[in-house]
Order: sequence, then structure tokens, then C-alpha cells
Amino acid sequence: MRRHDARTAAGFLAPFGILFALFFLLPIVYAIYQSLFTIERTGALGLGGEEQVFAGFDNYVDALQEPGFVDSLGRVVVFAAIQVPVMIVFALVLALLLETASARGVPFFRTAYFLPFGVPGVIASILWGFLYVPGVSPIVGALDQVGIHVDFLGGDTVLLSIVNIVTWEFVGYNMLVLVAQLQSIDPNLYEAARVDGASGWHIVRHIKLPMVRPAIVLTTVFTIIGTLQLFAEPLILKPVSTSISSHYTPNMAAYNEAFSNNNYHLAAAEAVLLALVAMVLSFGFLRLIGRGGDRR
Amino acid sequence: MIRHARRKISVLVAAALLALSVAACGDGDDDSSTQELKPGQKVTLEFWSWVPGIDKAVDLWNSENPDVQVKLSTITVGTSGGYAKMYSALEAGNAPDLAQVEYQELPSFLLADGVEEITQYGASDDADKFVDWQWEQVSFGDEVYAIPQASGPMAMFYRQDLFDKWGIEPPTTWTEYEAAAREIREHGAYIGTFPPGNSAWFTALAWQAGARWFGTDGDDWTVDIDNEATRKVAEFWQRLIDEDLVKTEPDFANGWYKDLQEGQIVGWVSAQWGDAILRGNAPKTAGNWRVAPMPQWDDASEFASANWGGSSTALLKGADYPEEALDFAVWLNTDLEAVDLLIQGGYGWPAASDAFSGSVLDRADPFFGGQRYNEVFADADEHIDKSWQWIPTTSQTYEHLNDGFQAAIEGDGTFVDAVEQAQGLTIDDLEKKGLPVAGE
Repeated sequence: MRRHDARTAAGFLAPFGILFALFFLLPIVYAIYQSLFTIERTGALGLGGEEQVFAGFDNYVDALQEPGFVDSLGRVVVFAAIQVPVMIVFALVLALLLETASARGVPFFRTAYFLPFGVPGVIASILWGFLYVPGVSPIVGALDQVGIHVDFLGGDTVLLSIVNIVTWEFVGYNMLVLVAQLQSIDPNLYEAARVDGASGWHIVRHIKLPMVRPAIVLTTVFTIIGTLQLFAEPLILKPVSTSISSHYTPNMAAYNEAFSNNNYHLAAAEAVLLALVAMVLSFGFLRLIGRGGDRR
Repeated sequence: MIRHARRKISVLVAAALLALSVAACGDGDDDSSTQELKPGQKVTLEFWSWVPGIDKAVDLWNSENPDVQVKLSTITVGTSGGYAKMYSALEAGNAPDLAQVEYQELPSFLLADGVEEITQYGASDDADKFVDWQWEQVSFGDEVYAIPQASGPMAMFYRQDLFDKWGIEPPTTWTEYEAAAREIREHGAYIGTFPPGNSAWFTALAWQAGARWFGTDGDDWTVDIDNEATRKVAEFWQRLIDEDLVKTEPDFANGWYKDLQEGQIVGWVSAQWGDAILRGNAPKTAGNWRVAPMPQWDDASEFASANWGGSSTALLKGADYPEEALDFAVWLNTDLEAVDLLIQGGYGWPAASDAFSGSVLDRADPFFGGQRYNEVFADADEHIDKSWQWIPTTSQTYEHLNDGFQAAIEGDGTFVDAVEQAQGLTIDDLEKKGLPVAGE
């Protein structure tokens, strides 16, 4: 009977396990393997032939010496520093508003906020691109009319313009995660609090926020990972902005290295480095939160 | 954010898997021998290109050659992702038989072992059907690697109606260009844009000024981007930008098209294929444009134009029917009917010799107010320094220049700094590829 159970369990796990290994573990192993090799060329002008040789950590050293790549890492960290609080606070505010007792038209607004999530990132970026380009954008045009000249695609602003797109795309999704957690709170708690004389704000501060803490942590970790992997939005805006370089984000740098410069090995090293940074930041955040929890 | 993260992961996974499948087929594919055609056997050649109107030429071939059918796939322009697609297909071992490859990208394809050496299939026999310097662009050492298609001799498009209205003569020198730019600003418009993200354009201007960025010295590559001629061009545009005499918006983007349509930008120093861009994107300005020769440098000893863009039809590595593919490539770029179809699509200046006179290029054009505007380009084509060469990392050099120009426009450094940096970084790029650089 035991063995039968184990076999059943294995049978149910197998589809996931096989696909996970094939499409997740194997590529990671292959990327790490790739990152340890390099191409050596021989012959006149180097066009004679090539050979793949073991390079140890040379590609990693090269990547970290590449000013463009290091800058791009710095840029997404800045981006995350802005994006994560904006995203979480905004999602939380929307979720709390939808869950207030006096809220009207909740199903409509919930759907409306969530709708942009159904728009693929590429389409969203094209859409917002039109709203950013001077001469085409009604927003820029209207602001010009009242004497405000704003360049959404300039060096100081384009990062914020991307924050706006990403927020528009994903705030509804994060809101929904928070709403789900809010709805699981026992209404008796609110009643008890009110009997004790708690105001609406007190209920939010001392009941709702602590109770949705796990959902906030979850959405924060996803947002951190997502922002570090920023790719489609800047890639789509690149042709219309003079301020986005080909290695604006680490993913773009790796993409460019692989498919424009044909240096798959360096690209693999850059991808592995990005994964490490994402891991350090995500686990770092979880540790930080964990410790805060202990003290309380 | 979860979907966001997951989607990115899945993209990376897909990319990694692609690379995996590459590794799997890489070994077996090398010895795939080319196949002889049996009589009566039908073959289909795959062809990737982005040239507008090329589908009509392909249709013509297909109707005339029932046994050798060409299947055209329209891809994005090479530098906007088309080459990335080709390189990945090459890595994966499922590249098309034929593809559009620009002259400046050809050395990179050579280095990636991505193109067939076609001298072995008798390509040299066709050399005299093409303009000399364009044949040089596809020849490396003693071998030929592609069939030249088109080039981009340069001149200046300008809005004659507005120039007349404001009493401005089309500039013949860059000094006059600056003066004209200043006058045009007084009417609220701009003479043109400096596209900081499109260094191919800047490269062409340096080419005109007499720079020779790349070359070979024995078995070594030479890099001379940071020279007097390039610096002169860089300083010129820096000054125009500093004084707000030109825009700095990207070309080939919606904002720029809008400016062209509305007369906010009234000139464009561009290649011959720019005519199709203007026609297609500012159709309501028809009849108002004219073409004047490219402005000259005051210290130039003789009239000089330059080349911007230029393309070939290459046989990608692993082409199954190289002889048939070569026949098609030569036909596509020399057959008068095919060339006429390509010209109408706006593919540029024919690489086939003697293709100008009598062709659809050689006639008065209502879009240009009845001007036989291509005569200007025909003359420009005669005055291009033909010894210009490219390196296997040209696209990276463009990126370095783009980065430098963009930074300078944001107020970080100057255009001359950008040129200086590009020199050093380009040498690094070549060395990182394991290529020898002279003097390093």
C-alpha cells in the first residue's frame, strides 16, 4: 500500500518534475556551462577558424569590467528603489479602497484596475510610447498649450516614464493579490474593533495591514524580481528616446551581447550575474522582513 | 508582478533552450553536403529580407522559374533585430538559404561563419555586372561572400516651397548649411535633426569629410575613428546642437515623421533611398521637395559625397542549393525588370552597373516637383571615396558612438569625447573577439 502511494505521488509529480527539469533547471545549468567558455580565433584577421576553450571566470571578470553592464545593474537597482514602493503603496491603497465598507461599484473598478494586466508588455509600451512622443502625444500637446514643456523621453525622465508603464501594467494584479488576502479576514474582527471604539484608520492600521502582511511580502518579492528583469518596456521605447542605450538594463545588455555581438558566452555570464543579484536582493528582503517580525 | 517575472523567465528559458538545441545540431550540421539537383526536381529556397517591394521581384522570379521557387519572409530591418534573428537561426542550424545583409554587417557574418564563400560556385564570373566599389564591399581577400544589391549615395532633400518663401538658398557648403539653419530657426522650424541613436548617419558624414575609420594592415585590423576629419564633423554638429540650430530627435520615429509632415523639419541630408521614406511618411508634402548636392567642407579639394547604407544578398551558411541560390541572387540584382521593381520599392541605388540610365530612376518625378532628382544622386555616386572598409564589430562601434552622442546631448561630455571613446572601445571590441589590431 505504501509503495502504491509513493508510485501515485510520483505519477502526479512527474509531469511537473520533467517539465521543470527540462525547461528550468537544464537551461540554467547550460547557461552556467556556457559562461565558463570562450571563443578563440586563429588565422589571418581572425577569420581562419574558431575554437571553444575553457575560460574559467574570465567572462565574469569581463562582464564586471564592462562599464555599460555595471551601469545597467546600478540603473535597475535605482529603478527598483522607485518602482517597488510606488507599486506596493499604490496597489495597497487601491485594494483598501475597494475593500472599504462604503465602496461603490466594486466589481467594475476591480475589473478596470486589473484590465491593463491583460495587455502584453510590448503592446503597453507601444501604447504609452505614443503618449510620450512629442508631436504625436495629446498629453504633451495639451501640456504645451498651458505652457508646461515636458519631455517624457529625456535622460532625467525616461526612467520614471518606464515606472509609469510598469505600474500601469501590474498594479491591478498586485492589488488583486492583496484584495484576496483582505477578503479572507474574519469580519468579526472589524466588529469587535468597532465595539472597542476603533476608527476606520485604526482598523486599517492595526487589523488590515498586519493581516495582509504575507501578501505584501509576496508582491514585494515579485516586484523586486520583475523590476530587475526589466526588458520589453525600454527595448520598445528605445527607437523613440535618445536616452535609452542598447545596454540600458542588464537583460538588454545580455540580449545585445548575445544577438548583436554574437558573444553568447559573455551574455551567459551577464545573465548568471543578474540572476545572482536578483537572488541576493530577494532573499535579502525576506531576511530583513523576517528579522523585523522577530523583534515585534 | 508574478506574471511579469514569469514571462521574463520563460523568455530566458526559451533563449537558453534555443541555445541548447543549437549545441545539439551544431555538430551534425557541419558536414551536410550540398545537394545536386535531379532533373525535374523542384526546390524551394528560403529568403529573408526587409526591402520594401522585393516581394514583387520574388513573384516575378517565381513565375519565370517554376522549378526553383523562392519563399520570401519579411523580417525586421537588420539593425533593429533582423540580424539577431539571422544569427540565432544560424546558431540553431535552421537559417534560410538567402538573406539581406548590409555591407557594414558582412564582416561580422564572416566572423560568425555565417555566410557561404560563393567564389566556389562561380560568383566571380558575374563581377563585371556590378559597380566596382560595391563588388569590393562583398570581397574579402580573394573570395566573394555575397552579391551586391544597392547602395546609398547621399545628397540633401529640402522643402523648396519653404526655402523660397523664406528667401533661403539651398546650402552648398556646411558653412552655408549652418547659416541656413540659423535663418530657418527664425521661422520656427529646423533644417534637420541630428539623430543621436543612429550613428550610421554620422559615419557617412565622416566618410564624406575624408575619414577612413577601418582598414587592414597585413593580417591586422586598423582603427582610425578618432582622426581630424571625424573630429571636424563632430565639432560642427556639437556647435549646431549647442546653439539649437538642429533638433536632436531620433530619425525614422513618429515625432520626426510628424515634423516632416508639418514643415517643422525642412531638410534631410540623406541617401537616395530617403526618397521612399519621404514619399511614404509625408505624402501630403508631394511636389514641395527638391534634391540638392550634399553640402561640402570649405577645405575640400574636390566635390565629395558619401554612402549611407548599402546591402547585399548573401547565401547563409548551410544553404542546401547554393548554385540555384546564387543564380537567384544574381538575377535579383541585375535583371532589369527585377531592378526596376526594387527601385520602385525604394531599395536604394542599384549595384548593377549601367542600371541608372533608362531605368525608372531616370525620369522627372512629380513628388520632387518634376525634378530629375536622381541625376543629383548619379553624380554623387561618382564622387564617393570607394576605399571605405568595415570591421567585424561595426555594429558595436555604432553603439559606442550612440552612447557617447546621447550622453553628450544629456550634457555629459562632448561629441569629440564620444569619438575618442569609440576609438578605444572599438579596439577593445576587436581584441575581445580575438582579432589582431595593428599597433596594439
